[in-house]
Amino acid sequence: MAVNPKKLRPYDQPPKVRRPILPNEPDNAATAFLVAAIVWFVVATGIGVLWTAYQLFPDVLTIRLNMPTFSGVLTFELSPATTSSGFWNSLAYGWLGNAGLGAVFFITPRLVGRRLIGETMASAAAALWNIGLLAGLTAIYVPQLTGSGRLTEFPIPVDGVLLLALLLANVAFWRTALAPTDRIPYVSIWYFGVALLALLGLFGLATLASLEPFVKLSDVAAALVNGFYGRALETLCLSGLAIGTLYYVVPRAANNPVYSWGLAMLGWLLWLGLGTLAPLSTLVDTSVPFAITQIGNVATFLLVLPAFLVAANLLLSLSGRWTLVLSPGTIPFALVALTFLVATSLLEAIGSLGSVRALVGRTEWGVGVQLLALLGTATAAFLALADHAFPRLLRRDWGGTLLAEATLWAAFAGAGLAGLALISGGVAHGSLLAQGAPADEISGLVFWFRLVLGAGIGLSALAAAVVALNVFLMYTSARPADYAVMGDAVAAPAAH
Amino acid sequence: MTVHTPIESRTRGIPRWALAVTGVMLLAGAVFFATNLSGSNPPIVGGSAEPSSGGPNAVSIIKAAGCQSCHGPDLAGQGPFPSLHGVKDGPVSENLQQLGTDHPEDWANLWIAGTDPAVADIDRGGMPAFGGQLSPEEIATVVEYLKTLP
Repeated sequence: MAVNPKKLRPYDQPPKVRRPILPNEPDNAATAFLVAAIVWFVVATGIGVLWTAYQLFPDVLTIRLNMPTFSGVLTFELSPATTSSGFWNSLAYGWLGNAGLGAVFFITPRLVGRRLIGETMASAAAALWNIGLLAGLTAIYVPQLTGSGRLTEFPIPVDGVLLLALLLANVAFWRTALAPTDRIPYVSIWYFGVALLALLGLFGLATLASLEPFVKLSDVAAALVNGFYGRALETLCLSGLAIGTLYYVVPRAANNPVYSWGLAMLGWLLWLGLGTLAPLSTLVDTSVPFAITQIGNVATFLLVLPAFLVAANLLLSLSGRWTLVLSPGTIPFALVALTFLVATSLLEAIGSLGSVRALVGRTEWGVGVQLLALLGTATAAFLALADHAFPRLLRRDWGGTLLAEATLWAAFAGAGLAGLALISGGVAHGSLLAQGAPADEISGLVFWFRLVLGAGIGLSALAAAVVALNVFLMYTSARPADYAVMGDAVAAPAAH
Repeated sequence: MTVHTPIESRTRGIPRWALAVTGVMLLAGAVFFATNLSGSNPPIVGGSAEPSSGGPNAVSIIKAAGCQSCHGPDLAGQGPFPSLHGVKDGPVSENLQQLGTDHPEDWANLWIAGTDPAVADIDRGGMPAFGGQLSPEEIATVVEYLKTLP
């Protein structure tokens, strides 16, 4: 019999269900991180377009607004310097940081075969991480509030919030990964473990180094710490999260076993050792023994080895499933990521040679290689994850192949153009410097390379906009898909 | 019923080709390291940046102000942003020639501060005015340091 709810007496009404502020449903943290990542991808590449515009036309638009506050006048500044900081921070922490943490919380429960232990904690980490980033990015545009160094510009209170988020993320990950199991953890877990611990440790170290009233490093030492941090963030944290993700999505999407467990672990061991030593190459100062810097240079050169082993292992895992390369989806994104992984490590190896360093050391070569690593390798790996994970998280199918194709090609061409423009521009710039060419001639030549950089960043921004649109369409109008929920008692392998 | 299928591997051992490649590469790295140990590191930014007597360090001011994000990690210029080496010889950029002539001693201080009427009408080309961010003493420290760069 139907009941008219208006006629219910107070004691007949069903009890109100209190919704917790931080939901505890399966995959909540992964969804939060990945959706935030897509938004940050759009923001980062948007700021990137402005960054390249400043490189081409530095006198076009510099805005300064003075805001009176209780503690004095704060100046909001939109300038080449603040935009450069905004671009790199939103790219590394906003897009890649969120996507990496989303990958950890999506993949880990599926590999260990149980729900994430500490889902609420991980959701709190997602909230804190993004609130902190928003505050940090705002502070970057107020130079009085920012710290020094690259990727270490956030004010101390913001660093504290981000550290807390990383701590919570680590606790949730380790509690899940270390829960008793009868199998040796899959290789992705090993990569994630190192990347998360390194991120927490390095971020803590960089924060501590800037905690001036308590720690007084000399300025040279602080600059060296900042340099080391920036490089280690790339070699250990972001690359670890990206490789761990690729080791999951490729066998899953191909529905094949991974080619070799031994090869995977050999690659991990080499990556761990060399990736830890490679940042020593940034310690270039008279106060540092040359042998230490040289260890870093050799490790940077040898990092090509684990990159090659990872690529070989995953390509051999595709055996018999090569047709997947031609169809839009996870595998083409993963292949793009592997291509950039090998290319970037080769370029890093070439750049670590003394003669090459002498030629391109004072140019934008290094920035170009870093751009290839972040916008190429890591971005494509996390786009592969997004392609695989979003249907399982939102339980809806992707709308169509056109938008996926557009994302793939725009991301591939964008990162390739942007990185190679800076790298080739660096070689040309270095050659002119070696010939003693006048500044005007160098500026005239570099302008054209920067124009190509602008086109590349523009294409990356297009890829970000398209993937955001695709996720939005999936959420609003795509047809539901029958993927199992993590934690269901009975679920099909489609849950992967 | 198993909820999640683990990812299996086709083989558990390490392929011989991988061991061979790893061995050769590590050996090459060791030989390269052993034969390239002579040398010394240059200073972190150009020349010595230590203050002569107390006071703020030029390197820290330069890093905090973000000079390197436009002028390059070693301040040698990048793209449209000019090199800061050679400040001791006077301004290089065309728009600063007159300023250099009118204020031969402190043109760089005036230019970095950007608050003096003498630089009010000069196209700054995207260069921020640091007068509100750095004190005159800090700007002087930076200029003194820039004059030491080759």
